[in-house]
Amino acid sequence: MVTVEPPPPGRTEGPGEAVVAAAAAMELGLALARVDYVQVGVTSQKTMRLLPASGRRATQKVVIGDQDGVITCFGIKKGEAVPVFKTLPGQRITRLELGGALNTPQEKIFVAAGSEVRGFTKRGKQFLSFETNLTENIKAMHISGADLFLCASYIYNHYCDCKDQHYYLSGDKINDILCLPVEKLNCITPILACQDRVLRVLQGSDLLYEVEVPGPPSVLALNKGNGGDSGEEVLFGTSDGKLGLIQFSHSSPVHKWEIRNDKKRGGILCIDSFDIVGDGVKELLIGRDDGILEVYNFDSTNDPVLRYDHALSESITSIQGGCVGKDGYDEILASTYSGWVTGLTTEPVHREGGSGEELKISQEMQNKISSLRSELEHLQIKVLQEREKYQQSSRSSTAVSAVPAFSVNDKFTLNKDDASYSLILEVQTAIDNVLIQSDVPIDLLDVDKNSAVVSFSGCDSEPNSNFLLATYRCQANTTRLELKIRSIEGQYGILQAYVTPRIQPKTCQVRQYQIKPLSLHQRTHSIDHDRPMNTLTLKGQFSFAEIHSWVVFCLPEVPEKTPAGECTTFYFQNTFLDTQLESTYRKGEGFFKSDNISTISILKDVLSKEATKRKINLSISYDINEISVNHTLKLIHPKLEYQLLLAKKVQLIDALKELQVHEGNMDFLIPEYRCILEEADHLLEEYKKQPAHLERLYGMITDLFIDKFKFKGTNVKSKVPLLLEILDSYDQNALIAFFDAAT
Amino acid sequence: MQSNQDSDISLLNINQGVSCLTSGVLNPQLGYDCLLVGTQTNLLAYDVHNNSDLFYREISDGANAAVLGMLGDISSPLAIIGGNCALQGFDHEGNDLFWTVTGDNVRSLALCDFDGDGKNELLVGSEDFDIRVFKEDEIVAEMSETETITALSPMYGSRFGYALSNGTVGVYDKTARYWRIKSKNHAMSIHAFDLNSDGVCELITGWSNGKVDARSDRTGEVIFKDNFASSIAGVVEGDYRMDGNTQLICCSIDGEVRGYLPGSQEMKVNLMDSTAEQDLIRELSQKKQNLLLELRNYEENSKQIELSTQVNEADGQRGVIPANTQLQTALSVNLGADSQSAHVELCISTSNDTIIRAVLIFAEGIFEGESHVVHPNLQNLSGHIRVPLTPPKDVPVDLHIKAFVGYRSSTQFHVFELTRQLPRFSMYALSSPDSVPHPLSFVNFTISERVQRVVMWLNQSFLLPEDAEFQSAPFQVCFTFLRDAGQLCIKMKPCGEISVSTDDIDLAGDIIQSMASFLAIEDLQVEADFPTYFEELRKVLIKVDEHHTVHQKLTADMADHSNLIRSMLVRAEDARLMGDMKNMKKRYVELYNLNRDLINGYKIRCTNHTELLNNLKAVNQAIQRAGRLRVGKPKTQVITACRDAIRNNNLNMLFRIMRVGTASC
Repeated sequence: MVTVEPPPPGRTEGPGEAVVAAAAAMELGLALARVDYVQVGVTSQKTMRLLPASGRRATQKVVIGDQDGVITCFGIKKGEAVPVFKTLPGQRITRLELGGALNTPQEKIFVAAGSEVRGFTKRGKQFLSFETNLTENIKAMHISGADLFLCASYIYNHYCDCKDQHYYLSGDKINDILCLPVEKLNCITPILACQDRVLRVLQGSDLLYEVEVPGPPSVLALNKGNGGDSGEEVLFGTSDGKLGLIQFSHSSPVHKWEIRNDKKRGGILCIDSFDIVGDGVKELLIGRDDGILEVYNFDSTNDPVLRYDHALSESITSIQGGCVGKDGYDEILASTYSGWVTGLTTEPVHREGGSGEELKISQEMQNKISSLRSELEHLQIKVLQEREKYQQSSRSSTAVSAVPAFSVNDKFTLNKDDASYSLILEVQTAIDNVLIQSDVPIDLLDVDKNSAVVSFSGCDSEPNSNFLLATYRCQANTTRLELKIRSIEGQYGILQAYVTPRIQPKTCQVRQYQIKPLSLHQRTHSIDHDRPMNTLTLKGQFSFAEIHSWVVFCLPEVPEKTPAGECTTFYFQNTFLDTQLESTYRKGEGFFKSDNISTISILKDVLSKEATKRKINLSISYDINEISVNHTLKLIHPKLEYQLLLAKKVQLIDALKELQVHEGNMDFLIPEYRCILEEADHLLEEYKKQPAHLERLYGMITDLFIDKFKFKGTNVKSKVPLLLEILDSYDQNALIAFFDAAT
Repeated sequence: MQSNQDSDISLLNINQGVSCLTSGVLNPQLGYDCLLVGTQTNLLAYDVHNNSDLFYREISDGANAAVLGMLGDISSPLAIIGGNCALQGFDHEGNDLFWTVTGDNVRSLALCDFDGDGKNELLVGSEDFDIRVFKEDEIVAEMSETETITALSPMYGSRFGYALSNGTVGVYDKTARYWRIKSKNHAMSIHAFDLNSDGVCELITGWSNGKVDARSDRTGEVIFKDNFASSIAGVVEGDYRMDGNTQLICCSIDGEVRGYLPGSQEMKVNLMDSTAEQDLIRELSQKKQNLLLELRNYEENSKQIELSTQVNEADGQRGVIPANTQLQTALSVNLGADSQSAHVELCISTSNDTIIRAVLIFAEGIFEGESHVVHPNLQNLSGHIRVPLTPPKDVPVDLHIKAFVGYRSSTQFHVFELTRQLPRFSMYALSSPDSVPHPLSFVNFTISERVQRVVMWLNQSFLLPEDAEFQSAPFQVCFTFLRDAGQLCIKMKPCGEISVSTDDIDLAGDIIQSMASFLAIEDLQVEADFPTYFEELRKVLIKVDEHHTVHQKLTADMADHSNLIRSMLVRAEDARLMGDMKNMKKRYVELYNLNRDLINGYKIRCTNHTELLNNLKAVNQAIQRAGRLRVGKPKTQVITACRDAIRNNNLNMLFRIMRVGTASC
């Protein structure tokens, strides 16, 4: 019983607006309903396609290949999946493509499994089994008429009518392959998407030219499905979530547009073009590895605009637009990592939600549910019997207990924006818990979207060399876990994740990830040669392969395979400080140049340790450029100043807000403070995004200070407290003077 | 009270930090709600309609939580506040009708008909992780949780929801926990509301990440959720729009308010999503997939068995181990060495040549987080792992152990899962009775139980090297505390007289409570003496008196000063108006000095007050401890009698009560 004067209705407006009953969000007029069709085994990237509609029927059949090696082809009748054919299990299917004679419906099914390519008719009859001469498993495949393009890790092979035509060895891993449409261009132009952030355009067995892209490309697709009007337009998606369009004219490429991944969404796994809106223009359909499905359309200047997104709970491995569920209603079909085939259909939901109206569970649904239930009952009985048998075997002294490996989809990548690593673990069934162990000091950061309960355990660095032990206890139905890790350059070792899924008999799998000595460095295509550089020179009796393996050990994103030729050069950029590193090496000698003296110092320590381990006599010499230290300090200066200012501003926000509330307005404040209040949300967000940024900068300046004098042979560790004092009341000139003076 | 005609908001300024707030009908004659405002020193009952105080009382123990309603047989509604170890209830005239003490600082209160007798019991959540149920001033139940209880909310009947500071929320029915869930976020506010109109309230939780969810009281299953942009500040219900419909109202710290109407009867099928069937299908399919996977696991396993019956290293890498591998665990007391302090040791070993890669122990309340991990490096891998445990409190703990078993080079391991219980008094090592001096303090009582039952309790509650087998009294067992090397001695005489000797009054209380619940003793009177503790308490009581005197003196000083300030200010302003700048300056300098004195005085008052609070807390705790040495009726009697003794300032009486349990001879 409340007798306080009721607030008049007008009161509820303004910032504290009362919203009664949450309404379902409608995304810019595009309303799609989710339908889950079937679940097959775990799927790889690009393994689901829609067969072209044939005959009288307008609905299309779906064909999907999974990691159990099974190809499933089905259609939808009255909401139920009706199988067309299903093959027997075999080697894991890595790609599934459609093909056929040029200018006819592309309805022959080709799958790549192991080193073999198999072909099936749309009715499931096998007409081709082509055992290639590749020694590795096929990673990517493209089919155009009688031409077959295959890629293993580093190798590209072109076959025509199953006969070897061309061959190319790429400098880094190939993620995807595409060929510009032969019908339009009358020549074969294969394009390789390579891990070293390059698209390589081939002609025959030779490299025509390379195109740099902003991230490691993970998928390629022809624009509008046919390469656009010119037939030369190719869409690419990167594993750090960027998207772009490039026109490959014969002589040179033209970058049309690029979308940065500002929302920090997952990497792109699949792209398709389809007119889902029905306005006569094809939209862009994107599937990401964090389960986000996006639809872009194009504005008047032909730039893409995000129009719709939908979150599935796991990686989207394939995506295609078409008509599957019901005649007359287009939909977006997606397959996910654990094998779900899900449709987002334009068919309106035949239920009128809202109060009073009874929910109608359609007959189809009812049938589907009851058949599933009975199927489950049978399975349950069978499982119980088997479980009993398994238990019994534990009494025998000769029996063994072997549980097959479950599949773990993992990704460990460096984020350029905040110089931290993200580790993504995805399992086909729900995860029970994950144990994270590291033998180097690293920080584990909280990720907002995780619901798992994290608990840090006490560590014993001696004698068990544990620097981090943490458990993630996952909530029910969590199949995907994302972790963020901050490493320190110079401290290297191994991070291990023990993943235990919720499945009987309980097993866990361990995955290892290298934290490299120069863990914050990233490959780049070019560097600024005008900077003052320090040089480290190695000479000794080592082979090209040996020094390459050392570089692989020290730096991320270097291909494991020794590069072709006698000599190679890689460029790197420090994602945190923007300093650079150039490494050039050949048999017997190596040169490492960096404007950051700490980078050189770390390399020197690690390389000499590695060489000693292999008992190789190494002569190390270095050429230190004093100016480089001040140069690095100048590089750090704007970052440090920005962070200090940000911290100061954030500190003021609360006080200013209180003033604002008390005074009712903020006209009396000086513009600077008013500005802080206006940007408060943005500032707080920025501050939250970069925790411990300042501490990291301080740490790097300290390293720089120690390293500068280490090369001179003096130990200045005793002066570090003094340095920290100077940093506390930071002034650029004072800092530089301190660096110069302390000799 | 400030009131502004233009604004819809009226402000009531308390001039002190508000620590709790509630509203309700306190005076049945008035027939409308009043507002209760608690601060660290006072409680104000305020009549909003007449803009007047109902009463304003000084609360020496502070008010951390408040609840308003009927309690037990007390005829008028009470405003009950919980402070530092104390509970107090006032009627509308400010009469103190209810008073008792509890184990630690109160953090949450709720009224609920716990035992179904039609009268409300008081639920008290405190910082010592306990939820206590008071039937008026008698404790009828105690539930141990794993963290500070930050919120309690009655659901219906004997069912109530609770929230902990570590992100746990759950529902109890009487003393049985129905369900609980733990989140990495914190529950800011909980409330019971029937959102799906099924006649039963759901537990609504507002989380620190801005999430609001409604969970079924029975299963904890989420039936509705929504998200705010910032942390939730509070969840309440009310007819905010004055249209006759009660809404659930949630407010975020940014000031965003959302109201939710309960769903209609027909919609109760599912509020989450209109695609309920879709979700069901997804869930069933997932189950099917899991069963298929499990089946495949068994199939593959039997294939393996056909292939080879001998385990070799290569198989080990794939996670093949002998089927008869077993995991053995043992708990024991380790007296420690130079490098390691004394602890309880959990020993885990495999039955063959397999190794344990890592051990995860999930347990509540004994580790910093919820888990402890032992991960030896490659050189130290073996089939045995010793895990040192040091439970900080004497509570029985379930250890959920997960051990990863395989071979050195394995990349896949078998996970052995088992649960062991750590006995309540595990941090005590058996010692020989003669080796150490006997503690001076003791508790004596007589029970009519067979010796075997007492021995059973001993075996269950302590970690003994081997089960004790005393067939008959008298017998004596002695223990050393692993935490601070104190002594504990339990003696039983043939007549059933048991004496527990220890200098730790808390431990004595724990032992009596544990024994009483094991032997199902309803009432137990004891004779106790804790000379050192009582001496400390006497000092504390003297200090309380001193603090009170200082407090009064300081208050008087302050009143003097403020009078002086008033006159000085008038004089200074006069001088200013007269243009006598010299005098004005002089006056203001004087004023400034006086102000500084006042601030200093205030600081002294603050320190004095904090000390006073701490000492009062110690007194309340002492009463609670004296109570815990008894069971049932004697327990309540002791607490009431102690309070009377303190009220009458009769210290000798107080100690007498603590010793023998009654005031009379």
